[in-house]
Amino acid sequence: MSVDQKIRTFLYYTSVSVFLIGLPFILAFSLSYKFDRRSFKFTRTGIISVKSQPPGATVTLDGQQLPDKTPMSISDLLPGMHTVALELDGYYPYERRIEVEGGKVARMEKVILFPLRSDTQQVNKEKISFFWLDEQSSALYFITRDENTLFRSDMDGGHFEQVCTFVPIAPAPRKWVFSPDRSRLAYFNQHRVGITELPQGKKRPAAAETVILDFPSDVINDMFWYADSYHIILMCRKRILICEARSGAVPVGLVNLAKRNSTGFYDSRTDSLYFMDSQQALDGNVYDNLYRLEMRNRVYPFTLPDFINLKGLEQRMNLLDWRPEDKKDGKKP
Amino acid sequence: MTGGLKIRKMARNHSRRLLRSLEIMPGAISWSIIGFFVLLAVWRPVYCAVMIIVFDFYWIIRTIYLTTLLLLANRRLAKQRRRAWLRSCQKIPGWEQLRHLIIFPVYKEGLDILRPSLEALRQTHYPQDKMVVVLAFEGRHQPSAETARVLEREYKDAFGSLLVTFHPDNLPGEKRIKGANATWAAKRSREYFEARGIAQERVIVSCFDADTCVDREYFGCLTYHFLTVERPHQASYQPVPVYNNNIWYAPAFARIIETSASFCQMIESMRLEKFVTFSSHSMSFKTLVDIGYWPVDMISDDSVVYWKAFLHFNGDYRVVPLYTTVSMDAAYSSNFFKTIWVQYRQKRRWAWGVENFPFLVRGLAKNRQIPLPVKMRRSFQLLESHVTWAIWAFVIGIIGPLPVFLGGRFFAQSAIGYNLPRITGLLFNFTMYASIVWIVLSWTILPPRPRDVPWVKNLAMAAEWVIVPAVILLLGSTPALDAQTRLMLGRYMEFSATEKSRKVV
Repeated sequence: MSVDQKIRTFLYYTSVSVFLIGLPFILAFSLSYKFDRRSFKFTRTGIISVKSQPPGATVTLDGQQLPDKTPMSISDLLPGMHTVALELDGYYPYERRIEVEGGKVARMEKVILFPLRSDTQQVNKEKISFFWLDEQSSALYFITRDENTLFRSDMDGGHFEQVCTFVPIAPAPRKWVFSPDRSRLAYFNQHRVGITELPQGKKRPAAAETVILDFPSDVINDMFWYADSYHIILMCRKRILICEARSGAVPVGLVNLAKRNSTGFYDSRTDSLYFMDSQQALDGNVYDNLYRLEMRNRVYPFTLPDFINLKGLEQRMNLLDWRPEDKKDGKKP
Repeated sequence: MTGGLKIRKMARNHSRRLLRSLEIMPGAISWSIIGFFVLLAVWRPVYCAVMIIVFDFYWIIRTIYLTTLLLLANRRLAKQRRRAWLRSCQKIPGWEQLRHLIIFPVYKEGLDILRPSLEALRQTHYPQDKMVVVLAFEGRHQPSAETARVLEREYKDAFGSLLVTFHPDNLPGEKRIKGANATWAAKRSREYFEARGIAQERVIVSCFDADTCVDREYFGCLTYHFLTVERPHQASYQPVPVYNNNIWYAPAFARIIETSASFCQMIESMRLEKFVTFSSHSMSFKTLVDIGYWPVDMISDDSVVYWKAFLHFNGDYRVVPLYTTVSMDAAYSSNFFKTIWVQYRQKRRWAWGVENFPFLVRGLAKNRQIPLPVKMRRSFQLLESHVTWAIWAFVIGIIGPLPVFLGGRFFAQSAIGYNLPRITGLLFNFTMYASIVWIVLSWTILPPRPRDVPWVKNLAMAAEWVIVPAVILLLGSTPALDAQTRLMLGRYMEFSATEKSRKVV
């Protein structure tokens, strides 16, 4: 037998031995068994997985500081209650009692360490009265205190710039809403809706075109843009209206509400309006129900402004108190 | 029907059923193991995780073991490649009586492939007058006649003899495979030697792929071993195949695979009890004649010829490793995806060596001389190697993470569910560390960098080993599983020459 073959034989038997000896320990480690050298027995233990935000916190287990920092796992723990404490300079300490079960992992993986001094900074560079966050464009929008200028900045306040000026309404608007295509901004108070055309591209006109719509007989609680960015849906105290976003537009009543100040939500993906209303049941009691009004674009692809005239929608919902014939007759809804 | 005919028919049917069972067995075992793991991952994720951890640990130990063997083989190769073998041969009486029969089975390969192979033969440190070179063309490929004429004109005086044979198409009992062509050439060579009164015992035959360029010391090394080993006629002589002819121009993907194939052969050369001939190799011509030449109806002629000899000599037949190289072309194509396909097909053809299993078991069943333990060991080794080839990459790469995804909440909360990704990650990290050894070793078998290749390519060649996990996933087990499935379903493969590209002619 050559020297290489002797080495090979040695290697072979060494490998087999390492495999056979090491395997029980590997499996014991995997299944979280601890080998007790004194009693020569395997004891079932548990694991605590610790992660923190930010990472790098010192971990103390049952009063004893561990060498590793988060993220880390503490293995070979006997089943029972254990106290885990996290400490990181400049952050509030965190402590929690956690139960460890044999052969299982107890997870402390959503620990947030809050800073002792919050890292707060001023974002706006003008006097503002209102702001909102537009997730779609990852930008912050600000309205100035005199309620007639729109500013925009990055999420950290950088690139603070004026977008446009517009006609204010009094009293101050309740809410500001962008149209889905980001071409318009709508704002409203109880009886009035303002709609401003937003400048597109790099062009930033000083004063944008603004339309003011008045609803003296209604009290507007909420407002949504319809998916076409041309209609607005108004949740009023007694009814739900839809209206073109242009001056002189005539609103159409979608639903008359039995319930006052009902809440509603418009889902632009399914083109559906969800709203609450009350209805008297057979037992004579009045119950609140949730209704869904489908206003699918695909059903009325070319006649969006007239979609409510279509019979299909009327039959589906059976909620309209307004009939197409009414319009023919020249009556206003 | 007479009783004798009936018995013969029954025996034939029984033999056919046995053959089909043996053909089905490797694929069935591989698929069963994979299916078993998947079902276990769904129904008993903890048990599945335990088995995966056992497999991972086994694979780490195996990788250490095989990498050490690779280091030993590489050390041997480095030492023996530089040796002046001819001088050693000249000290042994009777060496000059030996003749070398070198057969190049050719299909569509042209002058660009064949010239370098013949040129490498001409430049060997061995008397060329003792070489009989046979260019074995396929008669069905018409342009071969012109190639043969050109090569005959150029090399007729370069060797002892240069024979050209044309293998007729559609001979009874034959398939269109390399072995049939090589057998035809060997039979014509036998006539040549008999006509000149040269005994078969004095002839060593080497069957080379058309693109094989031998090392300058190959024939010295072969002759020396033939003259010094015990029972030289009961051994095949296997050099280390490298794919250096175009390695500097081959894309990273092909290079990694071909280098890995060379490594596998180097490792096998250290495991003599399992060593089987592969690709280009040499053996006694007398033995070749006695065992009835290469198989004419099996694709994996290179390994089947070993098993034929093994059965012929009742198990007393071995492969002697030659620590010298024969260089071939790395298989690649015009773009990345074609290269993957070419490599896939080549590996599938190699994996078709699984057809040896039914051949061997049937042969062993008929043989009464080979001891039962040897029969069981050799057939198990062959079966185990093919099954492992077909499943290991699946188990590590695909089934390994399955319990985590399919195990559900209970498994995620268990300690083993927590530890499984860590242990699998350990295996991955370990493979990356082991690849550092492979990078260094791959440099030792590389030919010198051609002048038109920039030196930066050295760095690229080291960096490209990071794609090893991707290569393992793509070509680790899939070709072998494909080949076994085809054999299992009786969809037998046809021989197809691997597409190869060579930039420098």
